[in-house]
Amino acid sequence: MMRGGLAGRPRDHFDWPLFIAAALIAVLGVVNLYSATSVYLGTSRAALAEIYINQVYWLAIGGVAGAVVAAIDYRHIERFAYVIYTLGVFSLIVVAVLARDVRGAARWINIGSFSFQPSEFMKLCLVIAVAKYLHDDPRSEPRTLKDMAIPAVLVAVPTALVVRQPDLGTGIIMTLVFGAIVALTRMRRSSVLIFVVSMAVILPVAWQYALPYQRARLTSFLNPTADLTGIGYHAHHARVAIGNGGLLGQGFTQGMQNQYRFLPDQYSDFPFPVFAEEWGFVGSMVLIGLYAFLVLWSVRIAARARDRFGAVLAVGCGAVIFWHAIFNLGMAAGVLPVVGITLPLFSYGGSSVTTVLLAVALLMNVSMRRNATFSPVERL
Amino acid sequence: MSVLQQRPDVSEFRRRFKWLALFQLLCFGVLVGRLFQLQLVQAEDYQAIARENIVRRVTLATTRGIIRDRFGKPLAASRPAYNLYVTPKRVTQVDKEGQPPVMTPVWAKLVAYLNLGDEEVGRLEQKLVAIVAEGGKRKDQQILLKEDISFDDVAVLSTHAHELPGIDVVDVSVRFYPQKSVGAHALGYMREVDPEMLAEMRRQGYVEGDHVGASGIERSWESYLRGTRGWEKVIVDARGARRPMRPGIIDGPSRVDPIPGRDLRLSLDADVQAAIERAMRGELAGGAALVDVESGQILGLVSKPGYDPNQLSGGSGKGVVRDAFQRMFSDQLKPALDKTVSGAYPPGSTWKPFTALAALEKGLIDKNVRTVCRGFLTFGKRVFKCTQAHGSCDLHRAIAASCNVYFYQLVATYGVTMDMIAEVGGRYGFGRRTGIGINAEASGRMPTKAWMTLRNKGQFRQGYTVNAAIGQGATTVTVLQLALAYAALANGGTLYQPQIVQAVETAGGDVVQEFQPRVRRKTNLDPKFRTLVHQALLSGVTEIGGTAYQTWRQLGVDVAGKTGTAQVSHKATGSADLERVYYFNRDHAWFAGYAPTTKPEVAVVVLIEHGGGGSKHAAPVALNIVRAWEDLKRKRAGERPRPLEVTP
Repeated sequence: MMRGGLAGRPRDHFDWPLFIAAALIAVLGVVNLYSATSVYLGTSRAALAEIYINQVYWLAIGGVAGAVVAAIDYRHIERFAYVIYTLGVFSLIVVAVLARDVRGAARWINIGSFSFQPSEFMKLCLVIAVAKYLHDDPRSEPRTLKDMAIPAVLVAVPTALVVRQPDLGTGIIMTLVFGAIVALTRMRRSSVLIFVVSMAVILPVAWQYALPYQRARLTSFLNPTADLTGIGYHAHHARVAIGNGGLLGQGFTQGMQNQYRFLPDQYSDFPFPVFAEEWGFVGSMVLIGLYAFLVLWSVRIAARARDRFGAVLAVGCGAVIFWHAIFNLGMAAGVLPVVGITLPLFSYGGSSVTTVLLAVALLMNVSMRRNATFSPVERL
Repeated sequence: MSVLQQRPDVSEFRRRFKWLALFQLLCFGVLVGRLFQLQLVQAEDYQAIARENIVRRVTLATTRGIIRDRFGKPLAASRPAYNLYVTPKRVTQVDKEGQPPVMTPVWAKLVAYLNLGDEEVGRLEQKLVAIVAEGGKRKDQQILLKEDISFDDVAVLSTHAHELPGIDVVDVSVRFYPQKSVGAHALGYMREVDPEMLAEMRRQGYVEGDHVGASGIERSWESYLRGTRGWEKVIVDARGARRPMRPGIIDGPSRVDPIPGRDLRLSLDADVQAAIERAMRGELAGGAALVDVESGQILGLVSKPGYDPNQLSGGSGKGVVRDAFQRMFSDQLKPALDKTVSGAYPPGSTWKPFTALAALEKGLIDKNVRTVCRGFLTFGKRVFKCTQAHGSCDLHRAIAASCNVYFYQLVATYGVTMDMIAEVGGRYGFGRRTGIGINAEASGRMPTKAWMTLRNKGQFRQGYTVNAAIGQGATTVTVLQLALAYAALANGGTLYQPQIVQAVETAGGDVVQEFQPRVRRKTNLDPKFRTLVHQALLSGVTEIGGTAYQTWRQLGVDVAGKTGTAQVSHKATGSADLERVYYFNRDHAWFAGYAPTTKPEVAVVVLIEHGGGGSKHAAPVALNIVRAWEDLKRKRAGERPRPLEVTP
């Protein structure tokens, strides 16, 4: 019955603000990647100076994939939600069994020369699965903890798998994305209280099982100047780069901290200090503004969604972008501990870029198929 | 429509969207606040840190002053040397995970270019692999592979530098003594500062790896010679690589030039030094000094056995230094000891002129007093020996032929006392340091009656004075003391402070400070007595029966002087090493004198440790020195002496 609708109406609803915000971030990201890796020109690692071109390729591939995903009515996605989820979990298991060790963490699947990171895509699979569950489980009464047990298990399985890799960052993101979705549901007050108390007990226990490097990062965050040449090095130099930017920045490709190679991982986990140093407070505000817009816009899309699945999907995809941005910027600015979490569309990496573009595409999908006659925004 | 039917389901979420949005906005707000703090409030602090990150203060080396002889010939200079460094990580590679690292082709090339021996290569490879396997910071740091590589090697390595990443040739400055062991004790040598020294010297700007003067002039004049380091601020990246200068990064001065050390011009004459060394060629151990009688300037000062300060100063590597030290301090002949300044010996018969002066000045004798020598004198219960039976001797013959009995009689019969001898000795500078200012100077010993009494548990025997009259017993002198005292006899009674550094000059050749001769004291030498002593010293060399006559007959130099044979306290002969005992039981041989005889210019003193008789062993050396000095003087009279060009 929706064939006709797909052909006509959604096109009229093409979400330009969403598209433009994502496109602007992507363009800034590529420009920043060029500057970040320009330090390798003329060195033995000159190949790294060209990865911004790869990033453009990834954006193109992600864009095409996104267009396909946006074109398919998300209700088809809903129908295959658990299949998608199962495929995601399966790929994580494949990683756990087969994957080769990349910098201390087995996160990748290699197919020929092509390697991809299932844990990135898993975040979206997870959102889809939880959305599907909540979609099928409408309640008029407040929910209890028991009501949320199944979605919690849906989250716990992949989270456990990625934390085992070990990829604590992705595990945190998954948990927090789920948190954002749960925040959307009506919970019984006593259940919330029980949850908070049990967390207060569980977290110290989890701390005992954290890996040494994970613990070291957190203690280093709490005492940032203790070890500037070791574990605190990243955080320190990132902070110096941001501060060095001042109001207007030092100009494109002129950031001293980056040009003199004090910023490690400047093209993967720490692209923001490069940007902040070159474009200053003004540039940082523009970038944060774009992320904030994208995230808030996703809430607006959720609020105007046609159905429960769409609403949860939009909130989940928005939450993925939101938590990535907040964690990455927060660790660069020294308000959160250093965990390997990418900055959406800024960090170099095919899996990361594609995942973010797919999230945007899902948002676009929900947005294009909103109910124009029954806008919930008016009730906000 | 089915869509409309689904709407009420969304109502569960509806009221929560705005809280979600608010929370997200709040998070972004915190970030904005943090960036406001970092980029606006604290911007200046972080900009300062960023600038500091890339600025390094690089020390600029200074050059140590050059030490030259009186005619400008360099005795100690600094030469460039090249040390080979290698960064272990860059010449090794890990082929297989978990396997120990192996050497790269770069290393093979280096080995080929330098023609390193298999054994050495094996040892170095083992060391480098161990450093890499250890995994610490050292694998990324330059490791000293070889010190002081040859110019040929430097040329080869710099030609192929592009093929040899991780291999660096670093130029350093090494102290260089062109005269090698000649005059080594006076010049001294350099040593690397050790941690204990550093604790005190850091305030003066010394750092690890610095070399300081360890002895001789190098040590005493260290503060003049060393110069002052400079520094320069440069821009480096996180890996320490140099980058071009950027404006606005460095506040204040960016460079302070190093100040080169002061050059020293010595009173020493390199040719005289070489001549002394040549004259002493046949002797194992001893010292010799040639002093200008009219100024106290030291023209030559040589101690044997010597050592090569080049080896000790580190130019050829730490191993060579260690070996050289080992040799130096295990040698029984004590090469480290400066026997001209730091060693005190009984003067033997060279002392006789001073005993004679004591008797003459007190009016106890005149030149006509005669004694009869039967080869010994019994005094108290002891028999004091003479070298031979001299028969009837007056003062002249007693000095010239070195009759001990005459001097015994001065004490036994004519009433010369210990304190009289000590008083004259004191006037001629004995028992006190001369003040040359280099090395640990021995003061020698000029015993008085009170001192001898104290030393012998309250008992004083006249026999001590009898011994002291012929320069035996407790009396000890240094070669330099004796030379200056003879210089005073030669010049009519002026005792000079010895002088070895004439002037301090800048690296450009300007004189900063010139040192004038300093008179230590007048010895109140009566011209009459001087003539008496002079004639006796002259006869001791030039007349039949004089102790140095045999030598003089062969060499024919214009010199007056006195031989001496100082007995040493005997070692037990029961020792296993008979040869060694025989050597160490031999007497010290002395010669002290001055030349020319008509108008003396230089005083010469030679001590041959355990050389045996003074006339046989010390006199030939001394006369050869004077002969060489005469030759040099004649040669220089023909052509005006001019400073030689010094190549830096």
